[in-house]
Amino acid sequence: MSAITARSLHKSYGTIPAVDGIDLDVRSGHIFGFLGPNGAGKSTTIKMLTTLIPPTSGTIEVLGINAIKQPLEIRKRIGVVLQQPSYEPNLSVEKSLEKYGMMWDIDRKTRKERTEELIGVFDLNEIRKRKNEDLSIGQRRRVQVAREFMHEMDLLFLDEPTVGLDPTARRKLLDYLKNKVKTGLTIFYTTHVLTEAEYLCDKIAVINKGKILAVDSPNNLKNTFGQEKTITIHLSERHDRLSELLSGIADCVIDFTTGTNITIQSSKSEVVLSQILQILIENNISVEDLSAIPTTLEDIFLKMVKDSNAPHN
Amino acid sequence: MHPTIRLIVRNLTISINPGFLVWQVIFPVIYIFVAGFAYTALIKSVPFGNITLDYPAFIASGMIGFNIMNSTLVSGIIIWNDRRHGMFEQILVGPFTRTNYILSNVYTIGIVGIISAALITAIGFPLFFTSVQFNALTIPFLIFASITGSILFGSIASIISTRLRSSEGFNVIINTVFLFFAFVSTAFYPASGAPQPLATAFYLNPLTYLVDIIRAGIFGTFTEFVMIEMIVLVSVAVTLFIVAIRLLTKLDL
Ligand SMILES: Nc1ncnc2c1ncn2[C@@H]1O[C@H](COP(=O)(O)OP(=O)(O)OP(=O)(O)O)[C@@H](O)[C@H]1O
Ligand SMILES: [Mg+2]
Repeated sequence: MSAITARSLHKSYGTIPAVDGIDLDVRSGHIFGFLGPNGAGKSTTIKMLTTLIPPTSGTIEVLGINAIKQPLEIRKRIGVVLQQPSYEPNLSVEKSLEKYGMMWDIDRKTRKERTEELIGVFDLNEIRKRKNEDLSIGQRRRVQVAREFMHEMDLLFLDEPTVGLDPTARRKLLDYLKNKVKTGLTIFYTTHVLTEAEYLCDKIAVINKGKILAVDSPNNLKNTFGQEKTITIHLSERHDRLSELLSGIADCVIDFTTGTNITIQSSKSEVVLSQILQILIENNISVEDLSAIPTTLEDIFLKMVKDSNAPHN
Repeated sequence: MHPTIRLIVRNLTISINPGFLVWQVIFPVIYIFVAGFAYTALIKSVPFGNITLDYPAFIASGMIGFNIMNSTLVSGIIIWNDRRHGMFEQILVGPFTRTNYILSNVYTIGIVGIISAALITAIGFPLFFTSVQFNALTIPFLIFASITGSILFGSIASIISTRLRSSEGFNVIINTVFLFFAFVSTAFYPASGAPQPLATAFYLNPLTYLVDIIRAGIFGTFTEFVMIEMIVLVSVAVTLFIVAIRLLTKLDL
């Protein structure tokens, strides 16, 4: 079953197209990763899917409900953690969780239980009596994310929830989300941290400049775009003729950005590597360090975004 | 519970704190007693309509209007804080509509206004009980004043809160505006003794109308002029209310 279906979604601010004709299909029970650089249109998409702003054109169905006709019916069944912070400055952490539950019409007893549970899960015990306005940015973010679990929902939207979280808190949140999905929750997750998306998501869509560049599972993305490896060679000193020397090698992309570092991307890495080493030895160029690693999702992402930014034809 | 009621409960929870109680209850009480009695030496009595009031009775009744006006700050502060701290958006992606949000603010003002007015009436009662002319109109007049005054000043506070950008100090601006209303009015001193331009300015100020109506209710001085004041007050309140709702409905996200 489909949790989100969107067709030809557009949103313009004045003449700027923030979201420029995207289609989305998110399956129930999946964690769907939405990746893109700053200004790509991730938050704008989330705001449309959560009915906060209307699309300029296009159709949206969330949980089988038309977002334009019955936005409230959707909002009753989703949870949303927006990118911007939101908090009641003069309430304590525990009180703000409790009151948020009240706003969602959760009965008092359940509210109390959930507050305790979430204070545990999100490590809020030390700061539970502190006012929201006195929290650090990361602590405040943790409260904001925790708060959303005060109520039941079928679908959860998270717009860069881990920004500002330390590694422990980050990992705890990701694992908590993974567990929640096992109980039937669907998650729409935006981030620009690739490792997070890889760890968490069943499917990833890459968006840039309001357009979707690719949608697939993390593995398929790697297979399609990343049969290649990245070879990094660190030289002991700078060699100005290097690019000239290596220019004859086929089937690879070589990058000499720093002078002593050479980065080579190739799907025939073994062949390419031996050719390069031979040339280096012949020219008495000594190698300080060398590594060959499978191209990460991050490289694929950066490459895709770079390609899509380049003017076409 | 109905969504609007849940929002009202939330509004009351976040706004009722020690600072608010001091401003809303303790300050008026001190003012009524200290200023009321201190100034009695200067102002022996105040002619009001065809009766004469002693100053403590005059100021205590004026304080009811002042307090109704002040309680509407609540709504401005809530809207302002919600926008500044992201709760406006968060509520609107939750199980609420904009109408729920707007109505909850209107009711919050109403509740705070009526409770404040009742409290000050009760506390100020010893001061004006000798002059009180309880009649069939007293309670309806007080309720009319609370509701109309709340809507009128609440709309002003809301309009200001929607027009300001987050870097500007809402509190400073709203307090200046309300302080101006308070002192260019008949809440604390009568128009009759004031210089002509000031006395005229008093009648460009809705708070003057509000306290005139309250006094008419308490002291039984209902005249044709008070009737006109009521009509003016309702018209201004309705107009401002419509403007405030428009602005809130169109508030950008
Ligand atoms: N309210 C607005 N008015 C005008 N332009 C806007 C508005 N909101 C977003 N934009 C523009 O729309 C584009 C997409 O913005 P959006 O916030 O969706 O990006 P994003 O992918 O979430 O980026 P980030 O990673 O920085 O959060 C940007 O170019 C942005 O400047
Ligand atoms: Mg964003």
